[in-house]
Amino acid sequence: MFDLTLFFISAVLTVIGAIMVITTKDLMHACIYLLASFLGMAGLYLTLGADFVAAIQLLVYVGGVVILMVFAVMLTGGPHAQKQNKFGMIKTALMGNIRTYTIGGLTAVVVLLMMVKLYISIFKNYTAGELPNYLPTVERIGKSLITDHVLAFEISSVLLLGALIGAAIIARPRKNRIN
Amino acid sequence: MTDTIVSYLAKFGPFKDLLEFLTESYGANGPTLFAFLIFLVGVIIIVTILSTIGGLGTYAERKISADMQLRMGPNRVGPYGILQFLADGVKMLMKEDIVPKDVDRLLFFIAPMLALTGVFGTLAVIPFSSGFTLTDLNVGVVYLIGISSLVGLAIFLGGYASNSKWSMLGGMRGASQIISYEIPIVLSILAVVLLSGGLSFGVITRAQGGWPHEWFIFHNPFTFIGFFVLFIGSLAETNRAPFDLPEAESELVSGYHTEFTGMRFAFFALAEYIEVFVVCGVTAALFLGGYQVPFNLGGDTIWGQLLQLGAFFSKTLALYYFVIVIRWTLPRLRVDQLMTMCWKYLIPIALFNLVGAGVWMWLFKGKSLFVLLFKSGTAAAGIH
Repeated sequence: MFDLTLFFISAVLTVIGAIMVITTKDLMHACIYLLASFLGMAGLYLTLGADFVAAIQLLVYVGGVVILMVFAVMLTGGPHAQKQNKFGMIKTALMGNIRTYTIGGLTAVVVLLMMVKLYISIFKNYTAGELPNYLPTVERIGKSLITDHVLAFEISSVLLLGALIGAAIIARPRKNRIN
Repeated sequence: MTDTIVSYLAKFGPFKDLLEFLTESYGANGPTLFAFLIFLVGVIIIVTILSTIGGLGTYAERKISADMQLRMGPNRVGPYGILQFLADGVKMLMKEDIVPKDVDRLLFFIAPMLALTGVFGTLAVIPFSSGFTLTDLNVGVVYLIGISSLVGLAIFLGGYASNSKWSMLGGMRGASQIISYEIPIVLSILAVVLLSGGLSFGVITRAQGGWPHEWFIFHNPFTFIGFFVLFIGSLAETNRAPFDLPEAESELVSGYHTEFTGMRFAFFALAEYIEVFVVCGVTAALFLGGYQVPFNLGGDTIWGQLLQLGAFFSKTLALYYFVIVIRWTLPRLRVDQLMTMCWKYLIPIALFNLVGAGVWMWLFKGKSLFVLLFKSGTAAAGIH
């Protein structure tokens, strides 16, 4: 019963948050609705017994990604910047040209087809299963990260190192700018 | 299974009987509902006590600062002015609730709530004692770091939504400061996690002992430095002086909460004071032995739990006292000094600590400095 309650609260939070993200016109509000959606996702992970993933979801998405997005929105001029063009007319958000719309549409169709293909097989032979008993996952994740999946672990660390060095190079003051 | 307040209470006879009775009469839903009710009561008690501590924190701040500046401090309301925080709270409630015209209303209303949510969310995993912990999540440390970052977001949103230059500057400073100082904090917490081999506060606390030489702060030289890195970082996380740049009165009026009045302001202030307590409690649990009592006096009984509560609260409140004393002793840093200190000093030191702690674990098989120095003596005395 408790799991079901948690599931419904989290699901409602996730779905409504996601819908509000795409319907709201204010970028800053969209970040907050995204926060709600991420919190709901953490709750959904918890109902599945994935405690470590839920905690990491909190840490990375709620604590990191949303704050970074808010920062980025603000540093790029905020939601109220350049709403009017030079004739004083309010711009409508076009967000792209014909090429991006074509690529986006095709991608959406492909993803939709893939999901339909996946879900049809699930709905055909659907039997209500029982969740396995709750077991702490931290230890198992740690062990498999440094044994079976050590290559993925190392590659992601190299990726992060690359990102770090790239950020340092971008942020470094240029020496040859003497004017 | 993780330890919770329910699993502690279930050790006692009457509760066991009650649980069995509920299972017989209502099936599996009975104990779940009962556990939910116990959690509800526990949450209400802890939130009430912590809010009182937060309120008393403002009183302590004023009294200690008065002491250091040879003044009297608040002394009119109640004995020694101890009810001053209640009078302040009533005043806050009675204030006119001013919402400036051009604020972003949604964010303006949600920011104080987020600050308080982030702080109260951390209370779920604070190890007050071995029994009276709301829940001892096995990812407690990660959860705590994640949920407490809501406060940083709230500070930033509060500054942004106010649509005022002072608030904006304060919010920006707050957010950048909190993001930066999270790194040394997490790195020095990781060193402790490495030593204890667990992400839950219960495991970390149980890996230490009641005596100071069994605490992680004196475990090896690296954790000794790590404690101070964590303490400095947590001062910056909670926007306390000398890192209170987001609310620097001399430059920014009152920083991110300039435009907030009445209860909305009180939410921010309360969140700040409770967060100081939470941070001190976490530091005490990670480095100062947490709720551990010498000889494990009292054990699992109620009296043992009360002793453990006493140990935890005395350590935490001692740290709280130091935080307040530091505020009234040191001058405020500049923004560039703040960032320099974090990125050029604290993070390298914390990284060095992490590697050092790992090497120590590998070289000495996790034995503490005390054990290594007095190995034969401690073995003879039976302390280890």
